[in-house]
Amino acid sequence: MDTNKVILGIYEDPDHIYDATKKLIHDGYRVRDVYSPFAIHGIDRVMGIKRSRLTVAAFIFAMTGITLALTLQSYVSFFDWQINVGGKPFLHIPTYIPITFELSILCTAFGMVACFFYVNRMVWGKNADIIDIRVTDDLFVVAVDVIPNKTNIAALSELLKSKGAIEIREKEFED
Amino acid sequence: MSYESPIRDMLITGGKTYSDITKEITRPIENKPSKAWWIGFGLSSLVLALWLFSTTYTMLVGIGAWGLNKTVGWAFDITNFVFWVGIGHAGTLISAVLLLFRQKWRMSINRSAEAMTIFAVICAASFIVSHMGRPWVAYWPIPLPNAFGSLWVNFNSPLVWDVFAISTYFSVSLVFWYVGLIPDIATVRDRAVTKARKFWYGFFAMGWNGSTRVWHRYEVISLILAAISTPLVLSVHSIVSMDFATSLVPGWHTTIFPPYFVAGAIFSGFGMVLTLLIVAREVLNYKDYITTEHLDAMCRVVMLTGTLVGLAYITEFFVAAYSGVEYEQYAFINRATGPYWWSYWIMMGCNLVAPQVFWSRWARTTPWFIFIMSIIVNIGMWFERFVIIVTSLHRDFLPSSWTMYTPTIIEFGILLGSFGLFFFFFFLFMKFLPAINMAELKSIVKTKHGLELEKHYTDLLNNNHKMANNAHDTKGDSVHGH
Repeated sequence: MDTNKVILGIYEDPDHIYDATKKLIHDGYRVRDVYSPFAIHGIDRVMGIKRSRLTVAAFIFAMTGITLALTLQSYVSFFDWQINVGGKPFLHIPTYIPITFELSILCTAFGMVACFFYVNRMVWGKNADIIDIRVTDDLFVVAVDVIPNKTNIAALSELLKSKGAIEIREKEFED
Repeated sequence: MSYESPIRDMLITGGKTYSDITKEITRPIENKPSKAWWIGFGLSSLVLALWLFSTTYTMLVGIGAWGLNKTVGWAFDITNFVFWVGIGHAGTLISAVLLLFRQKWRMSINRSAEAMTIFAVICAASFIVSHMGRPWVAYWPIPLPNAFGSLWVNFNSPLVWDVFAISTYFSVSLVFWYVGLIPDIATVRDRAVTKARKFWYGFFAMGWNGSTRVWHRYEVISLILAAISTPLVLSVHSIVSMDFATSLVPGWHTTIFPPYFVAGAIFSGFGMVLTLLIVAREVLNYKDYITTEHLDAMCRVVMLTGTLVGLAYITEFFVAAYSGVEYEQYAFINRATGPYWWSYWIMMGCNLVAPQVFWSRWARTTPWFIFIMSIIVNIGMWFERFVIIVTSLHRDFLPSSWTMYTPTIIEFGILLGSFGLFFFFFFLFMKFLPAINMAELKSIVKTKHGLELEKHYTDLLNNNHKMANNAHDTKGDSVHGH
């Protein structure tokens, strides 16, 4: 980021902030982020956020789970120590299916959620770099980068206001 | 933006705004608990003490403290286990399956249903550990190298599958629940005035800031978690049913068990969700959030699944008759007419007959009546497991070992006490966490702009109706005129 300064447009209605974001991007402003109390459907596409690759991670973790489970079960009951239970076969793939299924789900859920926390830099006890305390309650905030010598703050404020902003202010990030 | 039909009925009533939702749902967390809460919490703690006593007694004496014998080796313990696991199925079903089917009415109830799942599975697990008799070696079903004291586990055994299924179900449900809670914990954090609240909710909110990038990923993982939890829910109770179905005991050895157990689990789970929510909406005053329409929808599920298990009971009878296996036939005749006939007919009455009242709209929308019905459903489902386990075991292949099973007072203590354990956690949950998913609920509330639109369309619709009615009236008059 070549700038620490942003203009915040604060809205009460998700429809308004959606329109505002669309217009801002159309007009060539750099929208840093939109903060909201719930997911506004479609705004991620407007902002040009690429589809998350967490689905790929989920698939890889599922495969890991399946491999682990099959390896564990065949190692234990065939390679390491064969136990004769009523003459049943030692290596019997069909009876491994339930555990293989469960472990693939377990690995997918934990692996994917861990990746989710990692990409969001979320960790227990982290201080929230919250842009406005009300975004977890009832307000929607769009943060637009102010690029020195380029961004026309007056025009930007006018645009934000025309789309129904109830409050406009500046904010500077520390680093 | 997604388009929503403006003429559709609102899922929550009272014309709530975003901040109304925040204020009303965080109210129990931010204020001192009400008298009703203290009474409920106090009672559950007392009952929990009974559970602690009975379980400790069992640990000290061994399972000789129970009424089990050589013929009936499983009775109250496994009945209670299957009962609680079944209860635990509605939570993930509501949040996962209904999410995949885009049933938005789930949003008011999924949080508490998931909490219920987690507490119910804890209760179920406690029975598994205590029925082992030597709980200090409870780690033996985990595949540990032989040097740890046991042999490797037998992966052909459904009991080992069950260990994996239940623990996976518990941990995945916990993750699903926690991920869903994070945005709401952040809301409580940002409203917190006390230091302790700021610290603890801040700690568990993991620095949530409501950014669209995070929300985008959040939606992706919610969908995948739902997609993997759906087969998980179905697999868990299928595997529980295989504990029975893979044996050779007449009455257990049937292929219908997996779907039948899953339907029963959903049935009992929804029964328990209804019991809890009818109380919660009164105590916390959430009638605008959990409306009679929600109760109606849940009653429909109860009726459907109740009828499904009823069908399974009848199918079992038919299959036994049709199989020509006399042991199988005897097992079923004995269920309905043998010494435990009363438990069989309680099961039939509560699970198949009683839910049929929900064909009536009045029954589906009258809270006190649904409350009574939900208790009946729970009783019925407990008896279903009792019937399957005890009546199948007490008369096995060898008439010389036929016997009766009578529970001891300690077993009653554990059964009753497990409700204390369950409600103890549930009351803590209602006090310390938002009982309704605020973030999701806000996404279905109509904004000022949306409301104006809605009014416009409703007016238009009413006018059309009026015009149509007027036309109809004139026509009617003219008919009468002749």
